[in-house]
Amino acid sequence: MKAVVVGGSGYVGGELLRLLLRHPEVQVVQVTSDSMAGKGVGRAHPNLRKATDLQFVPHATRTPADVTFLATPHGDSMQKMPELLSNGGLVIDLSADFRLRDADAYPAYYHAEHPHPELLKEAVYGLPELHRDAIRSARLIAVPGCIATASILALHPLAHAGLVDREHVVVDAKTGSSAGGQDPGRAGTHAERSGVMRVYAAAGHRHTAEIEQETGLRVGLSCHAVEAVRGILSTCHAFVPRPVDDKELWRTYRGAYGAEPFVRIVHETDGIHREPEPKILAGTNFCDVGFASDPHAGRVVAIAALDNLMKGAAGNAVQCLNIRAGFPETTALEFLGLHPQ
Amino acid sequence: MTQCPECEAKVERHDKVLGEVFPCPDCGTELEVFGTTPFAVQPAPKEAEDWGE
Repeated sequence: MKAVVVGGSGYVGGELLRLLLRHPEVQVVQVTSDSMAGKGVGRAHPNLRKATDLQFVPHATRTPADVTFLATPHGDSMQKMPELLSNGGLVIDLSADFRLRDADAYPAYYHAEHPHPELLKEAVYGLPELHRDAIRSARLIAVPGCIATASILALHPLAHAGLVDREHVVVDAKTGSSAGGQDPGRAGTHAERSGVMRVYAAAGHRHTAEIEQETGLRVGLSCHAVEAVRGILSTCHAFVPRPVDDKELWRTYRGAYGAEPFVRIVHETDGIHREPEPKILAGTNFCDVGFASDPHAGRVVAIAALDNLMKGAAGNAVQCLNIRAGFPETTALEFLGLHPQ
Repeated sequence: MTQCPECEAKVERHDKVLGEVFPCPDCGTELEVFGTTPFAVQPAPKEAEDWGE
């Protein structure tokens, strides 16, 4: 299967290339980047030195392929999607441009009218744990956002089982610096980022729309920048109309994820890694999901951790490709992570 | 086969013997075999800290 990566010089593009260059069923034939055109892939992604002879080419020279991955900034692919669908084969878009089914949500969350609302109905939200069957026949797959992925996977079993008050859910998310991309501006400088514990979106974060769309819950999302390069930790506070104990939570989460290759239920009674934590997930496609009942406060705490560049972006995109193409779902995604690191 | 008393995970006997302690595959609780026919487990007693003796 011939693949093109559009916008391959960013962190997500680099992670996609790391995975695709070792995927036994994929041949990367082109990587585009206007800013890096003419330079070797290893210049932008030094971990890929000697792994490929590919050089970046301008976006305008993009060639047809069996699958086209879009790792471009939000707002780019929504303009170009009709052309991409005409000659790009399967399109897997890692931007936010086709994640939301409601076109009216784009002005609210992305400050732009969507130019092709008719395509929003066709796009499949690329979260295999919720939409695997639809992914199998999709022509356009919209890969979820990183904070959204963690939060949805944490909350979905509770919402699906009807265990929680659907109007009162609070999500507290912590994120590493790579989630901001290569050009985060002054907020990403060492002086501002080192040692950081900053609320960068107390309310109104864009991923709120995705979480609400996929869970059916009304969510208050607050996001924090913390001292990490990779990683998302989403701690979700869901209030329950009746007591829910740990055994019921185990049954609920097992029912949702017992057969999932990349979701691990982590809620251990002992040890120092009893609940999900992103540090051990760097480079892996796992989303670890845990929970705790809190009868004192009448809530359930749902927790999810992942690597924002992997299950939160590139890894999930490759998982979607594997499902769509009929490859074994874990192909090129079997790395178990490092401990310690 | 039986269930973990903490999280209800399926626990297989395989070749476990009476008194054997092993971790639940899901929640990690240390379980002790207290019956083999039928197979039965219970949380293993935790080693208590005992300072000052």
